[in-house]
Amino acid sequence: MTIMPATRKPPTADTDAPVFSVDGLWKVFGPKAERVPADPELAALPPAELRARTGCTAAVRDVSFDVRKGEVFVVMGLSGSGKSTLVRCLTRLIEPTAGTIAVDGEDVRAMDRTRLRELRRHRAAMVFQHFGLLPHRTVLDNVAYGLEIQGMGRAERRARAKEVVDKVGLDGMEQRRPAQLSGGQRQRVGLARALAVDPEVLLFDEPFSALDPLIRRDMQEEVVRLHREEGRTMVFITHDLGEALKLGDRIALMRDGRVVQLGTPEEIVGSPADDYVREFVRDVPREQVLTVGTAMRSASLEEAGAGPAVSPDATVSQAIEAVARSGGPVRVMDSGRCLGVVDHEGLLGVVAGTDPRSGPAATTPGSGPAGAERGAAPAQGDPGSATSGRAPGSRAVGTEPRKEAV
Amino acid sequence: MATLTTPAPRTALPGVLRNQAVRKLGLLALLAAVLVPLADARWSSGTWPHALTVDLTAPLTSASDWIVDNRDSHPLFLYFFGYLSNGVVLSVRAVYLVLLGAGWAGVTAAAALIAWRAAGVRLALGTAAAFLACGLLGMWVPTMQTLALMIVAVLVSVVVGVVLGLAGGLSDRLHRALRPVLDTMQVLPAFAYLLPVVLVFGIGVPAAVLATVVYAAPPMARLTALGLRGADKEVLEAVESLGATARQRLLTARIPLARKELLLGLNQTIMMALGMAVIASVIGAGGLGDRVYQALASVDVGAALAAGIPIVLLAVVLDRVTAAAGRAGDGEPGGHRAAWAWAAVSAVAVALAGRVAGRLDWPDSWTVAIAAPVNDVVDWMTDHLYSGVPLIGGTADWAGHFTTWVLDPLRSGLQGLPWWAVLLLVAAIAWPIGTWRTALTAVLALAATGVLGVWEPSLDTLSQVLAAVAVTLVLGFATGIAAARSDRVERLLRPVLDVFQTMPQFVYLIPVVALFGVGRAPAVAAAVVYALPAVVRITTQGLRQVDPAAMESARSLGATGTQQLRQVQLPLARPALLLAVNQGVVLVLAVVIIGGLVGGGALGYDAVFGLAQGDLATGLVAGAAIVCLGLMLDRVTQPADRRVKKGA
Repeated sequence: MTIMPATRKPPTADTDAPVFSVDGLWKVFGPKAERVPADPELAALPPAELRARTGCTAAVRDVSFDVRKGEVFVVMGLSGSGKSTLVRCLTRLIEPTAGTIAVDGEDVRAMDRTRLRELRRHRAAMVFQHFGLLPHRTVLDNVAYGLEIQGMGRAERRARAKEVVDKVGLDGMEQRRPAQLSGGQRQRVGLARALAVDPEVLLFDEPFSALDPLIRRDMQEEVVRLHREEGRTMVFITHDLGEALKLGDRIALMRDGRVVQLGTPEEIVGSPADDYVREFVRDVPREQVLTVGTAMRSASLEEAGAGPAVSPDATVSQAIEAVARSGGPVRVMDSGRCLGVVDHEGLLGVVAGTDPRSGPAATTPGSGPAGAERGAAPAQGDPGSATSGRAPGSRAVGTEPRKEAV
Repeated sequence: MATLTTPAPRTALPGVLRNQAVRKLGLLALLAAVLVPLADARWSSGTWPHALTVDLTAPLTSASDWIVDNRDSHPLFLYFFGYLSNGVVLSVRAVYLVLLGAGWAGVTAAAALIAWRAAGVRLALGTAAAFLACGLLGMWVPTMQTLALMIVAVLVSVVVGVVLGLAGGLSDRLHRALRPVLDTMQVLPAFAYLLPVVLVFGIGVPAAVLATVVYAAPPMARLTALGLRGADKEVLEAVESLGATARQRLLTARIPLARKELLLGLNQTIMMALGMAVIASVIGAGGLGDRVYQALASVDVGAALAAGIPIVLLAVVLDRVTAAAGRAGDGEPGGHRAAWAWAAVSAVAVALAGRVAGRLDWPDSWTVAIAAPVNDVVDWMTDHLYSGVPLIGGTADWAGHFTTWVLDPLRSGLQGLPWWAVLLLVAAIAWPIGTWRTALTAVLALAATGVLGVWEPSLDTLSQVLAAVAVTLVLGFATGIAAARSDRVERLLRPVLDVFQTMPQFVYLIPVVALFGVGRAPAVAAAVVYALPAVVRITTQGLRQVDPAAMESARSLGATGTQQLRQVQLPLARPALLLAVNQGVVLVLAVVIIGGLVGGGALGYDAVFGLAQGDLATGLVAGAAIVCLGLMLDRVTQPADRRVKKGA
C-alpha cells in the first residue's frame, strides 16, 4: 500500500478559526469522577495506580487540540487509548468530566438539551464502527433518518436522501435492507446518513475497522474523494497507522488517554516525540511519508543552475526515482527558485534512518529544526503552532491541497 | 481441557474440603447439629408441630364473608371493582356478540385471512380447517365464548404487559423492582391465581378474565423489557448522535428494534391466555374449558374429548400464526396495506353473505357427535385394557402399581420424616445448587406451608411432584440425549414436541383419565406428559450447543462416544440440564395441582373443593401453600448463575 504524503494547506488567518476547540478535556469513569481532574496529585497518577486509589479509570486525560476548518484531523491510538471516548465527548454522547469544548466558539458543555440536539442534528454527524443502521428500514429510509428526526417531510427528505445515496455510489440499492448489504455497502449507508444532514463536521469512529482490507481501501479512497469534492471538516478516529497517515492532515497520537504527539504525518514519522511513537512508526516506509526537505542539502552554484527538478512536496521516494533516472543530484525547485538539492547519499540516509541530517535538512534554514522541535513537543501546547512553526519556504508554498496530488 | 486432566493433589487442604458443595454441606451439618436438638426439645419431632401453625381459616372466612356482604355497597367495590367488573363483562359480551353476528362463515373467513396475511397460504388453510372442525364437533358456540374471553384478556394483557415492559425497559430502578416479581409469577401454577381473584370478584366472567390477565401479562412484560434492553447499543448511539429526542428514539428505534421480542411476547401471552382461559372454567369462564371440566367431573371422556379437540386446534393455530408472524420479519413495505384492506373487505363480504343466507349459527345437521363412539372405545378399553392383559398387565394395573410402589412409599416416607429433617433435606439440596439466598427462600417457603397448617397435604403434593419429576427426567434426558446424538431422531421428534408444547395443561387430563381412570397416578402421568417436551427440548439444545472445539479435541484424543458424552458433553451442558430440571419441576407442579380435578387429592383438591363449595378459606390456604411449594421447588432447582446468565 502506498502511503500518500500529506501536503499542507497554508494556515492562513481566516481559515484558522477552529471548528472544534478542545482544551484540558478529561473523561473519568468511576465513582466521584470529578475529583480526579480537580486534584493535581490524582491527575498525575498512572492508570493502574489511579484505579487502585480511587476505583476510577481516566479514559481521556487533559487533552487539548483544535480542529481547523476543512482539515482531516485524525485521532489515532491502540484500543483502550481513549480515542473513541474522546470523539463521543465532542457532541456529548459521553458527558465529559472536565475541560472545555467549543464548536465555532460556542461552549458545548454549557449547551442545554435543545441546543445540544441542534448541534447533533445540523453541525456534527457521526459514522460508527459497526454502522449503527436501523435494520427495519430500507437504505433510503436509513439515509433519510437524520432528516426525519429534524422533522422534514417525507417527499423532501427522500429526494435529499436519494441524492446522497447516489453520491456514495449506492444507486439502485435504495429499497434494500441493511441485512441485504455487504459490510462496505453498509458503511456507505452510514456515511450517506451522516452526509444527508449536511453537517459542518463529520466524525468518524473507526469506520473501516470492521471491513476487509480491500474494501477498507476503497472506503478510504471514498473519504478522500468526498473531502476533495466538498472540503468538509472531518475528525477521524482510527487504530490503523496506515489509515491515519493516508487520510490525516494532522494526527493526534493517543496513549492511555493522553495525546503523546500531535503533528503532521511527516512530523510523526520524521521526528517521533518519544520511544512509544518511535516504536509505533518504525515499520512505516519513511520514504513514502517524508518529503524531500528531509534529505535536502544546500546547492552549490552549478547544481542550482541546471538539471532535473522536483517540487518541495515530492516524497523522498519520488526523489529517489528522479535521482536514479538522472544519475546525479536533483534540484528542489519552488516556483523557479532552487531551494536545494537531493542526492544519493541524503536520500539513502532518510530511508535507512541514519542520516545525520535526518530530521528536516539542516541546510534549509528554519524548516528542519523547527519541525523537529514542534514534533517533539508534547501536545498540550497551542496546537495551532504545530504547523506554523514550519519553514515558510519549504512548507507554506506547497499549496495544492494534497488530495489533488493523489 | 479441564475435564481430561487429573487435578494435582494439593496438601494445604484436605481434598474434600476444597469442594465448594462439600463445604456448604459441612456448614449446614454444623448448623443442624446446633438447631435440631433445640427444635426437637421445644416442639418434638414427627409431623409439623401444632404450636407453629397459624390458623387462618377464621380470619379468611370472615374476610370473605365481609367481601360477599359488602360487594354491593362498599365504595371500593362500587367505584373501582364494580366498574372493572362491568367493563370486563361488557367487553366480553360485545366481542362475543360480534363473533356470533359475523356468523361461522364470517369468523372462519376472517381468521383464515388474518392467518394468510400474517403467515401465508398454508397456515390460512389450516386455520380455516381448524375452525370448521370446531363447528363439526358441535362446539361452535363454546369456541366463540372461549375466543371472546381470550380476545379481551389478550388485549388487556398486552396493554398491561407493554406498559410494565416499557417501564422496566427504560428505567433501571423499575426493572430491578419488577424482575423478581415477574420471575416468580412465571413459576407459579396457574391454579394459584384463581383464588384471590375469586375472593374479590366472585365466580364469573370478570374473575376469569382478570385471572387470565394476571397469568398472561408477565411474559409480555418480560419480553418487552428484554427487547428494549437488548437493542443494539451502537444503533441507539447513532440515533442519539443524529439528535433524536427521547420520544423519537423510542418510537423510531427502540420499539422497532424490539419487534421480534414483542411478537414473541404476544405469542407467549396468547398461549398462556388460552391455557388460563380454559382452566378458568373452574371459576366460571364458560366455553370450551367448562365443557371439559363438566365432562371430566362425570368421567365422560367422549364429551371431554369433543371439547378438548377444539382447544388443541385453537392452540396450534394461534401458536403457528403468531410465531410465523414473528419470523416473517420485514416483508415488502409496499402493497401491505392494500392486501390487508382486501382481506378485511372479503371477510366482511363473507360475513354479510352468511347473514343474507340466514346461516349465522352453525347448522345442527353438520355436526359429528364423537362423544358416543369415543365413550364406546373407552368402555372397550376399560373392559379389555385396564387389567388382565397377559404379560404386560393393564393400564389400571400400572396405575395401581405405581401408586402402591412409588407414590405411597414416597408420601409416607416424607410425611413420616421429622419436620425439621424435611427442611434440612431441602436446604441440603438447594444450597449446593444455588446460593444461600435461594436455599433460605426454599426452606422458608416450605416452612410456610407448615405454618399455614397444610403440612401433610403439601407433602402429599410434593411426593407426587417428586415421582413425576423423576420419571420426567429419566425419560426426558434419555430422549434428549438420543435426539442430540442423532439428527434423524431429532427430526422425528420435533413436530411432536411442537404440538405438545402448545397444548394447554388442562387438555392433558383427558387422555390420562381415559387410560388410567382417576386417582393420583393419572395426575402424575398427565404431569409427566406435560413436562416432558420442555425437558427433552432443553436437554437436546444444551447438548447440541456444546462447544464443537471441545468435542473435536476430545475426539482427536480418541475418546469413545460414551466418553465424549460423559466427560465432555454432559459437564459442559450442565447449565442447560439444570435449567431442564428447573423447568420440569415447575411444569410438573402446575399439572399435579390441576390433577386435583381428577382425583389427585392433596393441595389441588383443597383448592378445587374450596372453589366448588364456596369455602374460600380452605381454598385460599391451599392456594397460598401452592405458591409456597412453587417457590420452594423453583428455588431448590435454581442454579446459582441463573441471574447472571439471563442477562437483561
